[in-house]
Amino acid sequence: MDALLTKTKTGAQEAGKEVGKKISGAEALLRCLVAEGVETIFGYPGGAIMPVYDALYHYTDKINHILVRHEQGAIHAAQGFARVTGKTGVVFATSGPGATNLITGLADALIDSTPVVCVTGQVFAHLLGTDAFQETDVVNTTIPVTKWNVQVAEAKDIPAAVARAFYIANSGRPGPVLIDITKNAQNEMIEEFTYEKCTGIRTYRPKPTLQISQVQAAAELINQAKRPYILAGQGVLLSGATEELKALSEKAGIPVACTLLGLGSFPTDHPNYVGFLGMHGNYGPNVNTNECDVLIGIGMRFDDRVTGNVSRYARQAKVIHIEIDKAEISKIIQADVPVHADAKEALAALLPLVKSATHQEWIDSFRELNRIEEEKIIRKECNPDCEKLMMGEVIHRLSEMTKGEAILVTDVGQHQMTASRYYRFRYPLTNVTSGGAGTMGFALPAAIGAKIARPDKDVVAVIGDGGYQMTMQELGTILQYKIPVKILVLNNSYLGMVRQWQQLFHEKRYSCTEMVNPDFVKLAEAYNIPARRVTQREDLVPALTDLLNAKTASFVEVVVGREDNVFPMVPAGGCVSDVLLEPPTVAQQKK
Amino acid sequence: MKQEFTLEIAADNNFSILNRIVNVLNRRRVRIKKLIAHEMEGDFYRGGAILLLYTTPELMEKVKHQLEKLIEVEYANYTEGSDAYYERSEKHGCRVAS
Repeated sequence: MDALLTKTKTGAQEAGKEVGKKISGAEALLRCLVAEGVETIFGYPGGAIMPVYDALYHYTDKINHILVRHEQGAIHAAQGFARVTGKTGVVFATSGPGATNLITGLADALIDSTPVVCVTGQVFAHLLGTDAFQETDVVNTTIPVTKWNVQVAEAKDIPAAVARAFYIANSGRPGPVLIDITKNAQNEMIEEFTYEKCTGIRTYRPKPTLQISQVQAAAELINQAKRPYILAGQGVLLSGATEELKALSEKAGIPVACTLLGLGSFPTDHPNYVGFLGMHGNYGPNVNTNECDVLIGIGMRFDDRVTGNVSRYARQAKVIHIEIDKAEISKIIQADVPVHADAKEALAALLPLVKSATHQEWIDSFRELNRIEEEKIIRKECNPDCEKLMMGEVIHRLSEMTKGEAILVTDVGQHQMTASRYYRFRYPLTNVTSGGAGTMGFALPAAIGAKIARPDKDVVAVIGDGGYQMTMQELGTILQYKIPVKILVLNNSYLGMVRQWQQLFHEKRYSCTEMVNPDFVKLAEAYNIPARRVTQREDLVPALTDLLNAKTASFVEVVVGREDNVFPMVPAGGCVSDVLLEPPTVAQQKK
Repeated sequence: MKQEFTLEIAADNNFSILNRIVNVLNRRRVRIKKLIAHEMEGDFYRGGAILLLYTTPELMEKVKHQLEKLIEVEYANYTEGSDAYYERSEKHGCRVAS
């Protein structure tokens, strides 16, 4: 790990104009990346990107390249890196299958607004369209899963393409960008290398101009509201608007709930925090969505996991939607007051216009609903009196022991929902998960990227046995670079979330969801990672203590209840008020 | 209720721009009845497309914003009906049977 901490920023000083010295397109690429402040690249070499890797050989003092074990691991690692820093993650991959292995991660980064720049090698330009070895039409294949992409077939075009890529990836609503560079472009020499950062593109308007009239309209609604309610999404984090959000909530007495990717945008120990929204969110936030009179969505997109049935979502409320992406406003839920703006800017303008107010009775109504959830679900899950270990208690202990200060990286499934419910996030950029795409296998490589980005923080990857096996080859990356991530696998030997739906909605026809798993402990040990399995409650805290205290990578497998379910749950097709605290009755199922 | 719309797009004339535009429409299952693509006169780097679409007014508005999200697209404006389509296509030298 120490080797990864010693890079210094020299790129910005070295970039610029170089007269008289020819450099290759490959070297030009690296100089551009250094100029953009890139210090870490996650990648996997191959034939079509070999010139870049050859040039990289002489840049090891400036750029750390992390060799992963699969290109999907590279892009998820880059996402983890980006999520905890706000910087752009960078990926190298070769042509053909190397590039196509990035597609899942690109789709994930696009829907979750994560800034990533992927550079793929491509066959020689004269071979394009000839079905050459490892040639695929990467640009057209990745158009639907990127914010922008471009193919560069001449070396002289590399600097402008890189400059645009970084500008686009991390401006406005962030997203993934792909640059496909043909091999001849990598090999060609450039007479005169210059690099200028991109500061604008004629047709691209990443930051909307704040319309004061929209903000005034929003303030008017808020000032008249009796039951205002804020839904905070990832946009608050991306915009750096956490202080403004807290100020608004405190001044106007407005309760705040967070979406999955918004967790961390508002402190969970704040008196105005009312919970986690959505399909497996807390009871109060879901039920009271259909009780509020003014609903304020900030940096969120009213995803179907949040809204449930939209025909019965907040129909009684006036909706204010503060969002930087115009296409998201009124896409799902019609906004009465759209505020097309960056969240930080909008909230800063809104704050002086809203009156001081308290809505204690309204906030207390959330507490009462959450008390019901506490009695029916939370108490039993976090402090169970049954023999089997439960996911909720594992996360609860972990949260207590880390004081909510670790970076938590979760995979996808029941454990993800449980972690989102019970881990008490206190700070921004500490929750890393796959939201919109729900990509199983995300967590292990994302945790690698997060740890490399934040060596000063504990990074704990919480993963189910299904998702773990999708990308566990990245244990090799952990081995090679001695990355001290803490891996916690919750093993119920099922694809748990799918099994839950099969139980609740398909009369327990467990079709292809039972897993026969290998010995995860032995596998971790094969990668020199100290590992243990927990099957008894009395061993849980000691195991978690050892996990958190480990200076190296560490692994704990907790065997949890096989057929436990995650509640509350908004059933498919149901509205947020239909949120279930226990399995549906037969009548409810038939409905 | 579905109806015809004329959509006019101005964009940077980069490789794959038409593919990007059509992808957005395909993804939303918006029917493309006619399409003309052209370079801007005197500016090789800029181009445009005029499309005759068949969809609902609600979806047309949403698709407009999704098209304007494309990096190369300068604007995507639409009007109801097909008159504007035939008028603009004549202007670009295309005689189209109505």
